[in-house]
Amino acid sequence: MIQEELQILLVEDNPKDVTLTLHALREENLANAVQVARDGEEALDFLFCRGEFAGRSFDRPPELVLLDLKLPKVNGLEVLRAVKGDPRTRAIPVVVLTSSREERDLAESYRLGVNAYIQKPVEFDAFRQAVKQLGLFWLVVNEPPPPSSFRP
Amino acid sequence: MNANLERRVAQRTTELEAANKELEAFTYSVSHDLRAPLRHVDGFSKLLVEKQQAELSPEAQEYVATIRESVLQMGTLIDDLLHLARVGRKQLDVQATGLNSLVEEVMADLKRANPDRLIEWKVETLPFVECDHALMKQVFVNLLSNAVKFTRPRNPAIIEVGATDQDGARAVFVRDNGVGFSMRYVNKLFGVFQRLHRTEDFEGTGVGLATVQRIIHKHGGRVWAEAELDMGATFYFTLGSSDDPATEKRTGSGGNT
Repeated sequence: MIQEELQILLVEDNPKDVTLTLHALREENLANAVQVARDGEEALDFLFCRGEFAGRSFDRPPELVLLDLKLPKVNGLEVLRAVKGDPRTRAIPVVVLTSSREERDLAESYRLGVNAYIQKPVEFDAFRQAVKQLGLFWLVVNEPPPPSSFRP
Repeated sequence: MNANLERRVAQRTTELEAANKELEAFTYSVSHDLRAPLRHVDGFSKLLVEKQQAELSPEAQEYVATIRESVLQMGTLIDDLLHLARVGRKQLDVQATGLNSLVEEVMADLKRANPDRLIEWKVETLPFVECDHALMKQVFVNLLSNAVKFTRPRNPAIIEVGATDQDGARAVFVRDNGVGFSMRYVNKLFGVFQRLHRTEDFEGTGVGLATVQRIIHKHGGRVWAEAELDMGATFYFTLGSSDDPATEKRTGSGGNT
């Protein structure tokens, strides 16, 4: 059966990064199941099923959130705090995918419960490799959280 | 009189804190914002070559390869500068550290990264010292990878790490039989962006030794070097209070003209 479910929420404000990330995911046939949120507010609307995403259900969370940190309106750490602070979304795997590896970003992300933290490499081959591995690991190798883990 | 002095100290402290905050915001922004466009240049150059290979002449492909090389170089430069800035504002986390284990770790990484090189490593027993483990590892990463880099024309390369007494203080040294440098330029050695070799001969950003010096100074020690052109180089450092300020000045970051 073809998986129609959404698998990845990509939270990324920069369209060039969106293109490059989708490119990498496409090579693993993972690009069809991607929803892109262009700022932190849109990401939160999507994850918390409100605003233009009011029709979504908490029972069908994305299998993976790829989260940039520097975002307009609501930044990535604030998104992470909201997701990991709410029993309805806490079990969703969130991977920070960002430009910097400043210690305070790393420390704060882990403190908030991030599942992995990846600094986007400047070299495209390395970036592509990282995105591919991420996609494969979280969507193929890893067992996703069962529905019961999203109930308070 | 006293109150006046206190007020001035408080004011200066506030000013310093503001400057420090601004600097921190600056490096934070650099680390986030400066790398993104580089990533895009490299990514789209690579896609161009992959998608349009048939239409691109060999010359054009060569140009794109050069573009990507420069991008990666700038990426390294940014990373090194950020690292230097971080060292500057990091609080020392001092603990008793066996320098031999640090050297072993760094050596293992360098061996892995240079499988084709024939290098004779001679590591003596080194002291246990009070230092910041992570920063001291950076010192050895920089000194030992320099030694590996600048012995590239040697077969075998010989790299020694040991301890010696210098004016009553215990100094650690890293010696190699590499290309060395002329002592005429020794005052530029530890300056940021200062390089004593051409990039086409030996790659580098000119930040490594500046980082070493900053770390050693933060530990209250001093660092200096002796070398001869084509006859190898020896780098020394001490930790703890520097009892010879004159030498400190000689190897300071002066000469940044």
